[in-house]
Amino acid sequence: MIYYITNLLVYAGVDAMACLGLSQQFGVGGVTNFGFIIFQAAGAYTAGVLSLPPDSANGAFQRYVLGLNLPFPLPLIGAAIVGGLLAIPFAAILGRRLRGDFAAVGLLVAAVMFNLLATNFVPLFNGAAGLSLVPSPLQGSFNPQSAGYQWMYGAFAILLALAVYWFVSRITNSPYGRTLRAARDNDLVADSLGKNLRSLRTSSLVIGGAIAGLSGGVLVGFINLWDPQAWGYAETVVLFAAVIIGGLGNHRGAILGAILVPVAFEEATRYIPPVPGNPNLIPALQWVVIGCLILVFLWFRPQGILPEPRRKLATRVPGDLPASPGDQPISPGDQPAPPSDQPVPSTDLAALASPQSRDGAPGPGGAEPILECRDLVRSFDGVRVVQGVSMAFRRGHLTGIIGPNGAGKSTVLAMLAGTLAPTSGEVIVQGQDVTHLPAYRRARLGVVRTFQLASEFKRLTVLENLLAAIPDQRGDSFRGAILGRRYWGAEERDAIDRAQAMLDRFGLLGLADRYAGDLSGGQRRLVEIMRALMAAPDVLLLDEPMAGVHPRLAHDLGMRLVGLCEEGTTIVMVEHELSIMDEFCDPVYVLADGQVLAEGTMAALRSREEVVEAYLVG
Amino acid sequence: MLGRRSTRRARLLAGTVFVGAVLAAGCGSSSNSGGGGSGGSGSNASAGSALTVADVAPFTGTDAALGPTYLVSCDAATNAIDAAGGVLGHKLNCKSVDTRGDPADAVPAVHQMYASSAPAFVIGCTSDEAASVVPIFAANKTVSFCMTGQSEFDHVKFPYFYRLVPPDLSESYAMVAIAKNRGYKRLALAFGNDIGSQTFIAPAIAAIKKAGLQLVSNQTLDLSATTFRTEAAKIVASKPDAILTEALGPTEASFLTEVKQLNGGKMIPVIGTSATISPDWFKSVSNAIGGSALAGDFQADNLITESSGPAFAAFAKAIDAEKGKVGSTGDFSTYLTAPGAVHLYDGINLAALAMLAAHSTSPAKYMPFILKIGDGVPGAQVVHSFAQGAAALKQGKQIRYEGPGGPTSFDAYHDSAGLFQVDTYTPNGTVKVAGNLSTAELRSLGL
Amino acid sequence: MSVFVASIGFGLVTAAVLALAAVGFTLQFAVTNVLNLAYGGVMIVAAYAAYALNHAGVNVWLATIAGVVAGALVSVLLNSLVYTPFQRRGASPIAMVIVALGMTLILTFGTQALAGGTNVSYAMSQGATVKAASIELTVVQLVIIALSVAVMLLVHVLNRYTRLGKAMRATAANRSLARNCGIRTDRVVTSTWLISGALCGLAGVTFAINSGTFGATSTDVFLVLILAAVFLGGPGEAYGAMLGALVIGLATEVSASVIVSSYKDVIAFMILLAMLTVRPNGLLGARA
Repeated sequence: MIYYITNLLVYAGVDAMACLGLSQQFGVGGVTNFGFIIFQAAGAYTAGVLSLPPDSANGAFQRYVLGLNLPFPLPLIGAAIVGGLLAIPFAAILGRRLRGDFAAVGLLVAAVMFNLLATNFVPLFNGAAGLSLVPSPLQGSFNPQSAGYQWMYGAFAILLALAVYWFVSRITNSPYGRTLRAARDNDLVADSLGKNLRSLRTSSLVIGGAIAGLSGGVLVGFINLWDPQAWGYAETVVLFAAVIIGGLGNHRGAILGAILVPVAFEEATRYIPPVPGNPNLIPALQWVVIGCLILVFLWFRPQGILPEPRRKLATRVPGDLPASPGDQPISPGDQPAPPSDQPVPSTDLAALASPQSRDGAPGPGGAEPILECRDLVRSFDGVRVVQGVSMAFRRGHLTGIIGPNGAGKSTVLAMLAGTLAPTSGEVIVQGQDVTHLPAYRRARLGVVRTFQLASEFKRLTVLENLLAAIPDQRGDSFRGAILGRRYWGAEERDAIDRAQAMLDRFGLLGLADRYAGDLSGGQRRLVEIMRALMAAPDVLLLDEPMAGVHPRLAHDLGMRLVGLCEEGTTIVMVEHELSIMDEFCDPVYVLADGQVLAEGTMAALRSREEVVEAYLVG
Repeated sequence: MLGRRSTRRARLLAGTVFVGAVLAAGCGSSSNSGGGGSGGSGSNASAGSALTVADVAPFTGTDAALGPTYLVSCDAATNAIDAAGGVLGHKLNCKSVDTRGDPADAVPAVHQMYASSAPAFVIGCTSDEAASVVPIFAANKTVSFCMTGQSEFDHVKFPYFYRLVPPDLSESYAMVAIAKNRGYKRLALAFGNDIGSQTFIAPAIAAIKKAGLQLVSNQTLDLSATTFRTEAAKIVASKPDAILTEALGPTEASFLTEVKQLNGGKMIPVIGTSATISPDWFKSVSNAIGGSALAGDFQADNLITESSGPAFAAFAKAIDAEKGKVGSTGDFSTYLTAPGAVHLYDGINLAALAMLAAHSTSPAKYMPFILKIGDGVPGAQVVHSFAQGAAALKQGKQIRYEGPGGPTSFDAYHDSAGLFQVDTYTPNGTVKVAGNLSTAELRSLGL
Repeated sequence: MSVFVASIGFGLVTAAVLALAAVGFTLQFAVTNVLNLAYGGVMIVAAYAAYALNHAGVNVWLATIAGVVAGALVSVLLNSLVYTPFQRRGASPIAMVIVALGMTLILTFGTQALAGGTNVSYAMSQGATVKAASIELTVVQLVIIALSVAVMLLVHVLNRYTRLGKAMRATAANRSLARNCGIRTDRVVTSTWLISGALCGLAGVTFAINSGTFGATSTDVFLVLILAAVFLGGPGEAYGAMLGALVIGLATEVSASVIVSSYKDVIAFMILLAMLTVRPNGLLGARA
């Protein structure tokens, strides 16, 4: 009986670790790694060949590589390292912008392929027979079959699982974890806010892979055997089912899933007596039930039993923060105040975004354009959407871009921001050629954009959305996450305060802890703009920010933007609303058919015939 | 939004399920299990209780045919023993423990077996799981008779472990010896890439070389594929005199069909391992290429099994009593020669007789008698069934047991290889003995 | 005989079965944008449906019709009861893959639960062997190739010359635009699943005939070959699937003749992975 319990304890620990690794990759990192079992297998094989004596031992009945006879805990450490290293080529392959389901299929196939290779290439890991007589840790000093040893092993497995839980929680609950989750929710936007997607993805895969490798090492030390039968495609499906049922993005959910599915469910079926005449019935039905459970949960409760927790970080409520004199908060629901004719000093906004004072002269000025593009060309399938556009944006100006549908405005904006690569041409930021710089690097140089379509991080709260955008956070790195709250806590509290103040100015402080995906269209638009502001950009590229926004609100927003320009921020705005252009933008570019038609103030443009013909109606 | 209450409810549900699972595991803890120490069957069985023989083998998965086959043998042997009075007042019965053909599943299955009720001894344990469960049997001081030819057990000492089937190593030599005796000069190898079949290849190649024969083709059949035409074409193109093969499951059937078809409709002579002597294998392959085509040119090596004589008669009677109690697994008479039936029957009888001789069901006491009764001491009376042996022991005589598997001779590792014979099938699946192989012949090949 | 040339013949047979399966898969993907990973499961259901009739004494070629019907029915049900509801909910492509995997488990192991774990064969004769140069194929294998070619021609005719074909291509290119042009896209989708399911059923039965013996899990690896063919030609491109099937079918059997045969399926896997990494839209698809 004791042995059965200790067996279950070890399996529970191993499965919990595996599920935590998967939860980190899939639930937090957003990487659907259907080849997950390969990492556990690699860890088990590594631990095996590191702890086994050379293959000439024991009558030379097996063939495998290495065989270094290393003592505990070296094989386990080796297992984790190999699991982590193996993730790197996977990350490289997944890095290309492959459709999610295609990537998933590729990984599934990789798992089947590696299993076939391990089975058929005998000199590697002894083929189908696998590694036998793998030593248990410390079996020279203790009897692995004694009750005491088994309890220790069970306790060891559980403790390791708890350590892994502590580790992944530390990462997920840090600003770094927030960034991971943001990239999971909307990678394109995270990219444009300065997050290095490749490094994030690699980190998720490596962490998950190392944990999986560790779990394999613990398992092989217990059953003393590892062959390709033990890690088929079926095992991956069970782990995924466990994580989905337990709860995606919730590490406790992963542990729960591990206990419920691989342990409880698989063990429970052992008690059902076999049906005479059809011995395969019970195991076959077991798989049918797992399939049904997956579907049922994905339909009725896709967040799992324990869903991802909503992180409530807000420390203030509306009315807490003192209002500055002369500064009117924008509240979408209130009676709009009469529009003022002067730009409202929004020193608060800029200061909120970044605590340090701005470099460079405030206000419009400087002959040097801070951002320019030269002869930008972009073709899609042979159609030239942008045909040689050159524009220059001077610091502190609020420049507008208008044009009929299909003129290429958003495309130009995307090329300026780096989310789209030009077919030819150059983009220069502060004299530096950034044409080949990806979006996240440009964001770090201070060029941040917003998107036309809703692009909030849905499963982050409004407050988290803003916090995610802040650049150079202490806790926003793997190292920072590991160092823990003591390291990044103070800075985080500070950031929360600033974000709350920003929310308050826009009247959304009451929504701070709501999921961004639950907000109305106009509110989401504001969140997006606030988020972009939190990134403290030097150049802010807005793609139709006023679309669908109440005209009075749009006006107030415009005033805010002008105020920002006074502070030295450069803003480029693609818009349709001509009145906005009239009021706030100087200069304005008119694009038509992928080319710059004209440039100047709206008044000047309105008098030009070709502009009127191309675009303006009345 | 999920509130605290639902989380608590969810945790409660999960906790209940888990505790339930553990409790269910605890239930059925028999009064027998000795508690402390290694809590196994090291203790004496209490008077009157039944002794359980556990068939630890795959009942599901790729090798699902194995477990039920062994169960037939187990039932046959235990029923015959019970009819002859049982062992020291105990009746024997059989229990199945499904390892699912996977070592990671076999380990908890075996632990669960011990948790519910420790068996008197174990039979079965195939190559799929032996390596992971034999150490557990040893730790629990449970005697086991395993069906694995894996080389791991050739030179490693596992106490409490007994093997009555030949190591894959010697089987390979036996197959080559058969080929040599038949005058075949050009040989092709076609083995599956699973655990059970993989270990035959290297020794076969060595034996072929030593015998001065020619290896013309060596194809490994990937068990996850469903057609093997190119492999079959390669073999046919190499013009072998015979094909040495073992590939369980549907693979062998597909492969041999394709060989026949590519060879102009004629079968190439086939030499199989002892695993090919099983009702399930015959059914599968004869369905595919026809019983007479198979019977025409098929030989398999097998440990000597009696096909007549008092041992066989007793065995046949016991097996025949099981007819009708088993689902359709092919020709029932094949059980009379199948290694999975013959050797396990012998193992059970050996263990039962040893218990009688030792006047104890405690392995520590009766294990030495397994060797004594199996190998025999000078002056021992030869007996051929449990009933005979029990009667002789009552008269105080020393006995040597020789069952349908022939005389045993245990080496230092408790392996008894015995002598080989050559088996063939009749078109309807009955097994016939076609010849013998001597140890000298095998030695001359380098064994 | 030259094994190499013979393997080309075998490769053609594999390609024939693959072509049926891959074209069905890709036609459905083009119109619905869902990777139906339960395809292998439906194939096996169809194979068993034909087996049920064949076991009761019906000639295997007539029983094939049952398989085709079974494949079509199960596919349409799969779409209307499972895929469409999830898609309406806005499930991501990844979620759809997981749903498809769940359905695979249900179909495959449900079949195993009903039919038992042992392998079965059709009661049929393979016919005489026909030899030409070094190529040796049985009559049945030639029938499979001929059947496959005929179906490919039918698909071509469907695609090019029928209204349904044009409607399918329009829906595949841009569903909302097609709807705006008056095409009943819902009906097109159902018809596509019917056709794809019928092809799947046919592929399942011919696969089973070709393999000799089969069981509930026989198509597990075959599905990967189908995916390899589909991605090689370009997901959604019917002619690409035909090309891909030919290449993969030949590659697996020819590589078995040239290198160690136990790795013959690995080469298909590697082609699939290479395509996904380098050119996910396939040889005949648009440049990514």
